[in-house]
Amino acid sequence: MKPIIKVQALSKKFRINPGERPARRYETLRESLVKAIKSPFVRENKNGQHIIWALKDVSFEVMQGEVMGIIGRNGAGKSTILKVLARIIEPTTGRAELYGRVASLLEVGTGFHPDLSGRENVYLNGAILGMKRREIDDRFDEIVSFAEIEKFIDTAVKHYSSGMYLRLAFAVAAHLDPEILIVDEVLSVGDASFQKKCLGKMDDVTRSGRTVLLVTHNLGIVKTLCKRAVLIEAGQISGIGPADEVVAQYEKM
Amino acid sequence: MSLPATTTSGSDALTRPQDAVSLEIPYDLPEKPVVTIEAHSSWVPLNIRDLWASRELLFFLIWRDIKVRYKQTVLGAAWALIQPLGTMIIFTYFFGKLARVPSEGVPYPIFFYTGLLIWTFFSNAVNSGAHSLIGNSNLITKVYFPRLIIPSAAVGAGLLDFGIASLMLIGLLIYYHFPITLGYLMLIPLIALTTLFALGVGIWLSALNVKYRDVRYALPFLIQVWMFISPLIYPATLVPEEWRWLLALNPLTGIIESFRASLFGHQMPWSALAYSTAITLLVLVYASYTFRRMERWFAEVI
Repeated sequence: MKPIIKVQALSKKFRINPGERPARRYETLRESLVKAIKSPFVRENKNGQHIIWALKDVSFEVMQGEVMGIIGRNGAGKSTILKVLARIIEPTTGRAELYGRVASLLEVGTGFHPDLSGRENVYLNGAILGMKRREIDDRFDEIVSFAEIEKFIDTAVKHYSSGMYLRLAFAVAAHLDPEILIVDEVLSVGDASFQKKCLGKMDDVTRSGRTVLLVTHNLGIVKTLCKRAVLIEAGQISGIGPADEVVAQYEKM
Repeated sequence: MSLPATTTSGSDALTRPQDAVSLEIPYDLPEKPVVTIEAHSSWVPLNIRDLWASRELLFFLIWRDIKVRYKQTVLGAAWALIQPLGTMIIFTYFFGKLARVPSEGVPYPIFFYTGLLIWTFFSNAVNSGAHSLIGNSNLITKVYFPRLIIPSAAVGAGLLDFGIASLMLIGLLIYYHFPITLGYLMLIPLIALTTLFALGVGIWLSALNVKYRDVRYALPFLIQVWMFISPLIYPATLVPEEWRWLLALNPLTGIIESFRASLFGHQMPWSALAYSTAITLLVLVYASYTFRRMERWFAEVI
């Protein structure tokens, strides 16, 4: 069996201005100009900006058909790995090779528009997640019955209950058909019975030979779904191996 | 755990043979990676194959923009007609009747409306293009696809309003008894040129807007100034000879004048049109280059 994901010495550096939320640190043109005029030789580092290595020299391989869990504390860098592999952010150094079509599921219902009907959102969301129109046509009935919202499929989703909304969103995602699926903490959606259904669907997905990379805080899911797991600590891999062992290592931390 | 029938039927069976029991892999891995992820140098060429693969998404985003635009309005898409019609009536009164601005030998309403039609399409497309990335930040931080799709969809969605507003032009042409001529054939390349120019400016501003939110405040002013230096309300011939070069620098001048020339059977301003085409291509190339260079950190900055 060959690796379908090869991650080699991946590192990601973030610059953070103290006192400013990292998610929104755009600068105005004036700030850039002032900075350039006032201190043309000052590197960002001295300018009060902090540098954080969200990932430092991370390497691992995922075999074809494997379900790999990524666990670790908040802020350890789990989501950064997924975002780099999903091509949302670019690594600072290192490289990763993916030998298959990737779909990333970092959030359910990405691109859902409140004013559009459930039907319209299935098509929109499916297209955003990388499905072809024909594929959505083929799976439409299945998606709707999985979400259990047949009656409301032509209602604008802003009138949905939050449970209905999440079920529909998950249903679209569950019917993606990539070779590699990258999933971030989206399995805990809906009530207990729907969660059970989601896990069952994930099980189907993994049985069909697809490779799944899964970030979750639910260690039970890691133990049931994943064969192997990676433990991330402060941007570095501190454990990799059979899921049970890595989970045990994490629990001891 | 017993599962409902829907989960076991699975979508998997649709595309490839599966062997659920033995966990065998039903497909071979390619020799070369499908995707290679690494830090890029600052110069990134356009990934045409990637863009082509996302053409359906482009279609869906245009469709969404159009679908959402007139939701919860009573008059709906009629707004695309009411707005320019109202502007035409007011401007005809002030500039055509009161100020007696000349209009190249055609009635002022139709003279103004042709310019207004192009201008409204262009300014709306630039405006929605410029704000498109920020408005879709939830997509940018969660899913990968060629980011160029987003401003392109915003510009493309403007074509529908343009089409609706054109109905009014057809009405005016009939009302003023303009004959249908072969010159109308020029309209298609002219509309394409306007779209490409709006695309270039929209792409560039959208990328700039991600980093510098000043764009939001500068743009309305810029658009207003731009309208006055375009031969919209007045013909270019009204401008004193020594200042006409300034007007000619504006690529929209050539486009609007050619538009009128092909409708009213006037002499085509070929050199102005050639200039507009050249500038459009330059802006497009520069904008997509800048966009590609900047898109790497969109998700981090937006």
